[in-house]
Amino acid sequence: MAPEGARQHANWSPYDNNGGTVLAVAGENYVICASDTRMSTGYSILTRNYEKVDQMSPKTLMASAGFMADAQTLKKTLKARCKQYEFQNKKPIGCVSFAQMLSNTLYYRRFFPYYAFNIVAGLDAEGKGAVFTYDAVGSYERTNYSCQGSGQALIMPVLDNQLKTVSPLVLPAVSSATPLSEAAAIELIKDCFATAAERDIYTGDRVELWIMNADGVRKEEMPLRLD
Amino acid sequence: MFQTRSEYDRGVNTFSPEGRLFQVEYAIEAIKLGSTAIAIKTREGVVLAVEKRATSPLMDASSLEKIAEIDAHVGCAVSGLTADAWTMVEHGRAECQNHYFTYNEPMPVLSCTTSLCELAMSFAGEGEKRMSRPFGVALLVAGKDEDGYHLVHTDPSGTAVQYKAKAIGSGSEGAQTALQEEYRDDLTLKEAETLALKTLKAVMEEKVNTTNVDMARVAPAYVKYSDAAIQEIIDRL
Amino acid sequence: MIPRRVAHNPIIGPGVVPRGVDAEYDAACARDDARDGPATTTHAPASGRAFTLDGKAREKAPTTRTQTPYVTGTSALGLKYGDGVLLACDTLACYGSTKRYKNVERVKKVNERCAIAFTGELSDFTYVCNLLEELTTEDFCEDDGMTRDAEEIYQYLTRVMYNRRNKFDPLWNSLVVAGLKTNGETFLGTVGMIGTHYEDDHVCAGFGNHIARPIFREFYKADMTEEQAVEVMRSALYACVMRDKQMMNKFQICKVTKDGVTISEPFAVPTEWGYEKFYNPTKFSETGW
Repeated sequence: MAPEGARQHANWSPYDNNGGTVLAVAGENYVICASDTRMSTGYSILTRNYEKVDQMSPKTLMASAGFMADAQTLKKTLKARCKQYEFQNKKPIGCVSFAQMLSNTLYYRRFFPYYAFNIVAGLDAEGKGAVFTYDAVGSYERTNYSCQGSGQALIMPVLDNQLKTVSPLVLPAVSSATPLSEAAAIELIKDCFATAAERDIYTGDRVELWIMNADGVRKEEMPLRLD
Repeated sequence: MFQTRSEYDRGVNTFSPEGRLFQVEYAIEAIKLGSTAIAIKTREGVVLAVEKRATSPLMDASSLEKIAEIDAHVGCAVSGLTADAWTMVEHGRAECQNHYFTYNEPMPVLSCTTSLCELAMSFAGEGEKRMSRPFGVALLVAGKDEDGYHLVHTDPSGTAVQYKAKAIGSGSEGAQTALQEEYRDDLTLKEAETLALKTLKAVMEEKVNTTNVDMARVAPAYVKYSDAAIQEIIDRL
Repeated sequence: MIPRRVAHNPIIGPGVVPRGVDAEYDAACARDDARDGPATTTHAPASGRAFTLDGKAREKAPTTRTQTPYVTGTSALGLKYGDGVLLACDTLACYGSTKRYKNVERVKKVNERCAIAFTGELSDFTYVCNLLEELTTEDFCEDDGMTRDAEEIYQYLTRVMYNRRNKFDPLWNSLVVAGLKTNGETFLGTVGMIGTHYEDDHVCAGFGNHIARPIFREFYKADMTEEQAVEVMRSALYACVMRDKQMMNKFQICKVTKDGVTISEPFAVPTEWGYEKFYNPTKFSETGW
């Protein structure tokens, strides 16, 4: 075989990063899960119309950035497991249970991880917005807002600044949900994506927002930079 | 039924021409030899009461365990072959822990009983874990989940039926009639405790005391009654 | 190290020259061994000299020959139009940079409403075709009048490619799947060698993603006629053949509509090479010779 460095073809990698930014914000009685729709590899755009948010159960949304073949497989597996859960327990899976299941599913692949950066957004048993944010091997945390993917570094500080809430340590306890109204949160998210698209080449084309509240789920869209 | 005994009572997987599975029916009969167990569901919780039949005065009655915790929110009373019961309880415990591990929530009571019934049916399956005969035990599974309180009766055929109040074991016929007469939808937990013990007392040969009965409740967590607590109920009778 | 001589003596086996047959060769071997030490071997016949090919080496080492492509096809282009989908590619399979097989059909009809085209390793594509052949046979044997539609073929290939990457034994292909869905809508999608997949109105696998895709994006219209779509496709092929040195000016266009799959006869796009400087490229060059 040709010595290292003299190969005629690049050695293959089982992973790729297809870019993309996903974001979620939880309010007192709503949750919003958003993502851009660009899919890239290297400096090439593969498609401008790749939806990264999926509804996994009536009260659960999930968005993933990273390697899309892994993310898509992960979602397919989880959707199948949600169905099984529904058959076994005669109720649709709740977002808190889904969050734990995702964590376990990721951790089972600890030594050949899914290269996917996930956010789970949903309404919990009390109808309160919930956001769960993950790393690739299943560490997760319930928060009230999160952003992952290629635009994370650009958006996260803005969310920190705009959505910071009362410390969970203060007594008497104060709700940690985002104080923003639903409409204000939608505007903030749109601004975040428009901003990230200015500087992050992997974010752009279109942003889709899935808004979940007591009335159900609805979608909003906004065009982003196409360059 | 014993008159109709035929070749068809040998294999556990063979129906008789009349459409019966004799081994399963015999297993159900085995429960009628067991000690009586009673469960009553109220809006405030579920009460479990069992008789502990010491067959010898030299026997330590505290070693007869017929009430078990499956998870913090599920308990069960058993009648029949207690060894079989422990196999099922262990299975239920593992399933509940697994559900909590995977979904970060207590296992719904009906899912738990379904998994117990699946195990009860394992004699019909194939493979390593196959059981050679039906379990000779019936369970009264009491639990609380987001849908409220549940009381489920499972038998060796793997059938699970929900009840408001149910008695199993040797005294079940008399006890069930008594429960049917006395049960009201608005029973308090305290009234249910009294009713359970009163019914048990009526079908027991011995006089009720703290050594020959055991009680537990799920309201909303599983708690086993202390001797003092049982004595307090006996005093109420 | 001097080259070991090859003998074809049936008794001593191939590749072995016994000592004492050729004095000069013996001396050369002795010098060689003195300098480098005796040739390593696991298989030294008593009567012969070291046999340098380790027959067991292949069993010991993991297979790596499937981790690089050998005979490859370059870009595959796909384009939707009003009531059908086009697939296009050249008919060349290269061995490295050699134009090795110039008459290869790089599109395959899967069934009456689906066709696929490939880039990458030709033999892996043959394997993929065998898999699809099995599916088609199954569909045929069912004899219920149903066939898998293009989207189902695409989803299937998605799983095949992804599962092979999970085994670290990828199929070295990007595939373009074109056809119709059961509801009659057009379908166009692509699957990469590690399972990356997406659908779009126009897709390109391979180098064409850089060259043909911008042309598609500029000229694509959802309600194009077939003639317009072929025109766009031909200009994309022209751009590819001019800039992709693995591309040959002999193409096939495959069309999938509700009337079925048709793969065109090979054709060439017109190119103009009759420029004066092409006849004598160094004529006006100061440093030319």
